[in-house]
Amino acid sequence: MRIVVTIKLVPDLNAQKRIDPATKRLVRTGMETVLNPYDEYALEAALQVKEKLGAETTVTLLSMVPETSKETLRKALAMGADDAVVLSDETLAGSDVAMTAAALAQALKKIGFDLVICGGLADDGSTGGVPGALAEHLGVPGLTNARHLEIADGRIKAQRETDTGYQVVTVSLPALVSVTMAVGEPRYASLKGIMGAKKKAMTSLSAADVGFENRAPKTELLSFAAPPARTKAKIVEAPDGAAGAQAIFEFLRERKLV
Amino acid sequence: MQNVIAFVEHRKGQTRKVTYELVTEARALADRLGGKAHAVVLGNGSTALAESLKTYPLDIVHVAEDPDIDAYLLDPTIDYLEAAARAIGPAVVLVPNTMYGRDVASRLCARLDAGMTADVTGFEVENGRVGCVAPKLGGVTITTCAFKNCEYGVVTVRPNSFAAQPGGSGASIEQIAKPASKTYAMKIEDEIEEASSELGLEEAPVVISGGRGLGGPEPFQTLLKPLADALGGAVGASRAAADAGWVPYSLQIGQTGKTVSPKLYVAVGISGAIQHKVGMRSAGTIVAINKDATAPIAEFSDLVVVGDAFAIIPELTKLVETAKV
Ligand SMILES: Cc1cc2nc3c(=O)[nH]c(=O)nc-3n(C[C@H](O)[C@H](O)[C@H](O)COP(=O)(O)OP(=O)(O)OC[C@H]3O[C@@H](n4cnc5c(N)ncnc54)[C@H](O)[C@@H]3O)c2cc1C
Ligand SMILES: Nc1ncnc2c1ncn2[C@@H]1O[C@H](COP(=O)(O)O)[C@@H](O)[C@H]1O
Repeated sequence: MRIVVTIKLVPDLNAQKRIDPATKRLVRTGMETVLNPYDEYALEAALQVKEKLGAETTVTLLSMVPETSKETLRKALAMGADDAVVLSDETLAGSDVAMTAAALAQALKKIGFDLVICGGLADDGSTGGVPGALAEHLGVPGLTNARHLEIADGRIKAQRETDTGYQVVTVSLPALVSVTMAVGEPRYASLKGIMGAKKKAMTSLSAADVGFENRAPKTELLSFAAPPARTKAKIVEAPDGAAGAQAIFEFLRERKLV
Repeated sequence: MQNVIAFVEHRKGQTRKVTYELVTEARALADRLGGKAHAVVLGNGSTALAESLKTYPLDIVHVAEDPDIDAYLLDPTIDYLEAAARAIGPAVVLVPNTMYGRDVASRLCARLDAGMTADVTGFEVENGRVGCVAPKLGGVTITTCAFKNCEYGVVTVRPNSFAAQPGGSGASIEQIAKPASKTYAMKIEDEIEEASSELGLEEAPVVISGGRGLGGPEPFQTLLKPLADALGGAVGASRAAADAGWVPYSLQIGQTGKTVSPKLYVAVGISGAIQHKVGMRSAGTIVAINKDATAPIAEFSDLVVVGDAFAIIPELTKLVETAKV
């Protein structure tokens, strides 16, 4: 069985994120790039399936990123993925949700898959739109927000998180899932994994290679601004519970929140 | 894109406040664009719900009741929603930014060959073009994003961002014709309610959130829940509390968890690490209760009360309850 995990590369959480006023794109150079944290959970879920199903199962990474950032994927190979496919092309820069999902779908059709596992949300764009749109393009069941997966006999049973609980849905493969962090803490790469990752294959594909040409995004960033600054906090020392409660209550009343 | 369509999320005809925010804004936006305001209500209970939406200023409410819509995940819903949108013509589709709403929006985006904008809190209209305003990058930037090269724009709207205002002279109700019959794959076998609150965390106007300072699972129930109930809100948690197993991960706010922006956020015993901050910093008012006056949370709060949460919160709950009656 072939599992493909989609991985976005994003600026590190602590990086000073900013948008370039000229290109209206997020500045991605001059700062540390990391695996999108959510996608580490997607990879963890894939590796758990591989452990269960044994050697016939492979885990391939798929990332749409500039060629120059692809080495960051070594960390995911070190965690246990078998190989990586990088969809890289100048014409893909500035992709939005619609274009990213369509491009990834073309790449997935090219490389083949039984199961696609996505993260729930990218740290930078954070629309959460890619997994659902991708399932639609692929024409396969899309079980988003899965917190628990069971795979047997070509079928996948997922517990899907909802706003108030969960649902149980079983579908036949091929399928797509996105995961929540409840699938389990991503493993650390072992020393052996890190050494082995250096030799694992990383294949680059261009937009033409996957038959994705002359596309344009469907959204455009018009402008951006800093949010209104919060005034410095009022600090109140509360000698006892009643004083603390009173201070909060007064404050909420001033702001018409009670 | 002149018309505006509000997608109504509901369960067996029961809906929540965000629906009324969406339909109200659908009208306001349609007026600015010179188009019509529509709503789409699908599944069991939608006829009655559509009837009750007549008290809001919509032009047409489109409904479909079909057992498939409730029996299968998403696919039939998207089929009907697509059919309605195609019949209406070029439109901006408003969907609540909830777990279910994001699923609907992303699938619809691909189906309609549409652009998508997410977590939108406001609209700007210039020369008939819609700009969607949304806080991004963990709240450090407010972006305005517009659609191009597409006939439809799908927008997930952040709950509690728009006012809900009844009015109008009564929408007409239209049935959506059944789309070509299909066999659906994603049968919902079971549906389990777990949350102690009716309201999803992302929709709650008030969030009372606990962290390491609470010391265990019980205070989430005995301390935070009563305050959340009194204020009409929901309970959330920091990563530390979820990692310790005190609450399920579904309550975790921050990176890899939920992003919330309630009118009021109360952080109890939460230090305010950046992982947490990115999920809540755009809340309206932030109140921190912490033993440590120098905790990072103080840097992005409006009020910091330095004291013992275990003593303060029961008193505060009483004050709020008394004020209500
Ligand atoms: C500040 C800012 C605002 C933006 N606003 C919008 C907007 O309103 N509308 C819009 O259409 N675009 C927007 N974008 C662009 C958007 O971030 C990118 O198009 C991105 O490629 C896909 O969307 P996402 O980051 O929201 O991913 P999400 O949908 O949040 O990602 C979910 C999952 O999809 C997979 N995935 C996503 N991207 C890739 C990739 N490149 N390679 C492999 N797997 C991937 C990952 O598994 C990830 O966990 C914005 C970008 C920025 C920086
Ligand atoms: N040269 C490129 N090749 C492939 N993907 C890219 C390239 N540049 C940017 N991307 C991807 O396109 C999306 C938008 O990126 P950006 O325009 O840099 O915000 C992200 O998913 C990037 O990973």
